[in-house]
Amino acid sequence: MTHLTRRNLLRTAGAVSAGALLAPSMLGAPLFVPERKTQRVVLIAMAGGVRTRETFGMPDNVPNLVAMAKEGVLYPKLRTSNLGHFGATMSIFTGLAEARGIRENARGPDPTIFEYLRKDLGLDKGDVWVTTSGGAQQVNYSYGLHPEYGPQYGANILDGDGIFNREFEELLERWGKPKAADPEEQKILERLRRGMGKGDAVKDAEQQARVEEYILNELTRGTSDIRGAAAGDRKALRLARNLMSIFKPKMLGVVLQNADIAHSSYNGYVEVVRQNDAAIGELMAAIREDEELATTTAVFVCPEFGRDADLNARRGLDHGDGSDDLRTVGCAAWGPDFKQGATVTADHKTIDLTTTICELMGAKAKLAKGGRLSGLYS
Amino acid sequence: MVIGPPQPKNPVLGLRPQDEPTVVPDAALVRPMSVGDLRAVSMDLLGRPPFANELEPWIGKSRDAYVEHLLGTEAFWRHWWSEQLYYFMLIDTFRPRTDDVNEVPIKLAEGRLTVRDALHRIALTPTFDLRNPGADTFVTVVMEQYCGMVVQDAARELEIGKSAYDGNETRFLGQPAENQADVVRNCVEHKSATRHFTAREYERLTGMAPDKKDLIRWSRDLHKRPHAYVTLFAEWMRSTHYDERLVRRRPKSNRLFARALHVDLLDRLPTEDETESMRNALDGLGDPRPLRSLFARLILDSSKAPVPKKKDIPDPTLWVGAQYRRLLGREATQDELRTFVTAFHEPACRPETLLYAILSHAEYQTY
Repeated sequence: MTHLTRRNLLRTAGAVSAGALLAPSMLGAPLFVPERKTQRVVLIAMAGGVRTRETFGMPDNVPNLVAMAKEGVLYPKLRTSNLGHFGATMSIFTGLAEARGIRENARGPDPTIFEYLRKDLGLDKGDVWVTTSGGAQQVNYSYGLHPEYGPQYGANILDGDGIFNREFEELLERWGKPKAADPEEQKILERLRRGMGKGDAVKDAEQQARVEEYILNELTRGTSDIRGAAAGDRKALRLARNLMSIFKPKMLGVVLQNADIAHSSYNGYVEVVRQNDAAIGELMAAIREDEELATTTAVFVCPEFGRDADLNARRGLDHGDGSDDLRTVGCAAWGPDFKQGATVTADHKTIDLTTTICELMGAKAKLAKGGRLSGLYS
Repeated sequence: MVIGPPQPKNPVLGLRPQDEPTVVPDAALVRPMSVGDLRAVSMDLLGRPPFANELEPWIGKSRDAYVEHLLGTEAFWRHWWSEQLYYFMLIDTFRPRTDDVNEVPIKLAEGRLTVRDALHRIALTPTFDLRNPGADTFVTVVMEQYCGMVVQDAARELEIGKSAYDGNETRFLGQPAENQADVVRNCVEHKSATRHFTAREYERLTGMAPDKKDLIRWSRDLHKRPHAYVTLFAEWMRSTHYDERLVRRRPKSNRLFARALHVDLLDRLPTEDETESMRNALDGLGDPRPLRSLFARLILDSSKAPVPKKKDIPDPTLWVGAQYRRLLGREATQDELRTFVTAFHEPACRPETLLYAILSHAEYQTY
């Protein structure tokens, strides 16, 4: 008998309401809808503004993305909203296209995909991660301020460039390594926290200790040594790769941003696109090489918007001309439940990703305005 | 440069630490400050808790006197300036470091610049231009960050601004403009910029949005007299909203945490590099608490923090009580005292263990 999960229940209820497949005699009988193989999702937002011309339009730049698309589904023309990098990326994660200031450094009012998944699926914070390369502003993707969701359902966010850099290493070296916690001292500490704390102070402390340990270990894995073109993005993708291998999270968001160098350098921008593709290739290799991950992970890669059609006076590419190059992007979807080698040209938007991924995982993006990506499932 | 306990002199008001605080006839304001209020006011105005030598002179004195003592000092303006640069996301490699920019807080303290002049300078720095490259990004950011506009609702004005940025003669926000500098000037001098600045500054201080009528009055006055910012700030410090803010406690920002941890453990401010590295790393986490705890542990275990040896603490109850007051700004409860003192007597417990428990606790993340 198929195990009755919330996901099965939701999917079956959807099928019933659509008047699909289930015969009346089968109502109340064991659920026969096959369980989807996907148990975890990686969503990579190429959030520095990347045109399709330099990705799927120039396959040599992105051999790994092209390979992904060949084994999965390519959406060559998802519509975007030019809301600035921050707003447009936020809209991918909320499924809502709402204006946000380019330098606005605040939580949004709407729940994010991470909150939907954690709340609906009862996921632990350790199951939902985001790695970023854009610094302070991007931690706001972790959660919104909606009263039904919020910080208790937020994702762990790690900014690769903010933490894993030479300056931070030097800071740690200056203070010396922290002493290993003596087990007896640790017990005392827990008692002290319980004596002070309200609610989950001790559980919180345990979770914090795990993240703290991860950060210290990550510092020894060479992430800080990544330098050169797209270093921030490559760190975010390196962290994503390591997180996938170590924690096998259910949801992993990756936010890249270095492509925005395009404002001043077209060649620099193309180099970032190439470097990002190579790092995505490493992440994909890690997924393919792990038997569990290979058969249970879905990956989506999508820019938040494109760039102008023509070069600016500095021989760079801005983003503000309202052209098709700016307003549509190419998105690749790869995973065990998806078609292989399909191209879907139906009218879709980047905000459809939240609804699609939530549905794929058995959650509901209640407040998202996006639809579902069609032609995805095999 | 390491900055330690100062001997401040208020260049605007001419006060020194030994000056008698002024007494004003308002019960809430002349009521003796608790150590918690003293910490909060210091962190709000200077971006750090009081140094050890500032505690004794001010505990039990009035809030109004303390505010008058700090407002308009160079330390006050340095904190203000740092907050403005952060607001514009001019951090890390984008932080302007020229002498001219470094002198802005000094000139503000001497009354040679107004807040509007200072904000204007921010958008004229090369790093602001680097941070916001291209016409679309640049004009969008100045409209949003200075005037609080939603550019999606002002698409035509954005296009006009971009045209001016590109060197075309036009009228942007009602004034002539034909280059990037005009775009900035028109935004900075626009009434909406004063209103937006006033609202965000009030919210930065109190954690609450201002009353609409008050906001109109304040921003109108400030627009006419940008030198009067300190007077307005003093009025806010006397407001009921600020009273409520003191009761409510607010989360420490990462930059405030970095500075507070240094002052609380080392009785000095971190260097700019220390602050930036620490803040940068903390900003890189959605939930920075694990890293905050790690920093606390690093400093405590480094032997650089002057923590007494266990044998040198003759009365652990007194010592624990003092740490609660110093770090959390409140008295320990009887239960807390009992728990901590019992732990203190266990062989595996070090004074650092007790301090770490406090510093890594959620309460220390607020002020």
